[in-house]
Amino acid sequence: MELEEAPKQHYSEEEKQNIFNNEFMPHIHSMYNFGYRLTLDADDSKDLVQDTYLKAYRFIESFQKGTNAKAWLFRILKNSFINDYRKKSKEPSKVDYQEVETYYNSEEVDRQITPDLRVEALKDMIGDEISNALNALDVDFRTVIILCDLEGFKYDEMAKILDIPIGTVRSRLHRARNLLKEKLSEYAKQMGYKTT
Amino acid sequence: MSNSDQSHMKQDCSNKRDCLEMLQLILDGEATHEQKEHFLKHHLDECLPCYKNYHLELKIKELLKTKCCGGQAPSDLVEQIKNKIGAA
Ligand SMILES: [Zn+2]
Ligand SMILES: [Zn+2]
Repeated sequence: MELEEAPKQHYSEEEKQNIFNNEFMPHIHSMYNFGYRLTLDADDSKDLVQDTYLKAYRFIESFQKGTNAKAWLFRILKNSFINDYRKKSKEPSKVDYQEVETYYNSEEVDRQITPDLRVEALKDMIGDEISNALNALDVDFRTVIILCDLEGFKYDEMAKILDIPIGTVRSRLHRARNLLKEKLSEYAKQMGYKTT
Repeated sequence: MSNSDQSHMKQDCSNKRDCLEMLQLILDGEATHEQKEHFLKHHLDECLPCYKNYHLELKIKELLKTKCCGGQAPSDLVEQIKNKIGAA
């Protein structure tokens, strides 16, 4: 459960309440957004966030006061999502072992250096385009973009939240962004932008 | 985007794979000072694909940040959690 292998802490009831209110609750909005972007359902995300906070309280002595509460909470939420929601939906993980390979494939690199999308097209995407494009990504790809671009986690924090090596964080992020650009360039075409 | 004259820039990147990796490190604030210096100050001045990619990626990152977060958790959720913990 713990993010860092911290020795078990001992807190008084008052300390527990303080940690919960001052270190955990301030992340509630980010946590809800994460839950919502994972489940894509308002009720499910409420349940997921509530479960996560109750778990966090139950295991509060595995958390070392004053350390990275946000990453710790995000990790619990992500684990609850995998255990409780993904199983339910029986959606298999589509991220395969090719992710590192694809990153280094030279045809792919040639294609990536001249993407099918121009910055001008993005300026007209003032509605839900970006959000829809993000939500349309497979959940493993969506997750790395949420953690990195929305929440600003560093690679080492992401590696701990997701239990994957930093190299995998980087290659998955790279692939996720390419997939996102593909979606966005579809929108750009629909909006009448010519692609290069 | 800056208005730098693009006519003298290279149309093809000589170091695509490394530059794509570098771009990602810079975008995510994970690059070293030397990497930033090389890529942002030297490479972007002469390489058109990298220049375009950099500005594209920056814009996407900015859009993600402004369009996909900043919402509030429902207040009944916040209340429920506080009640359950307070009663614990
Ligand atoms: Zn280049
Ligand atoms: Zn270079």
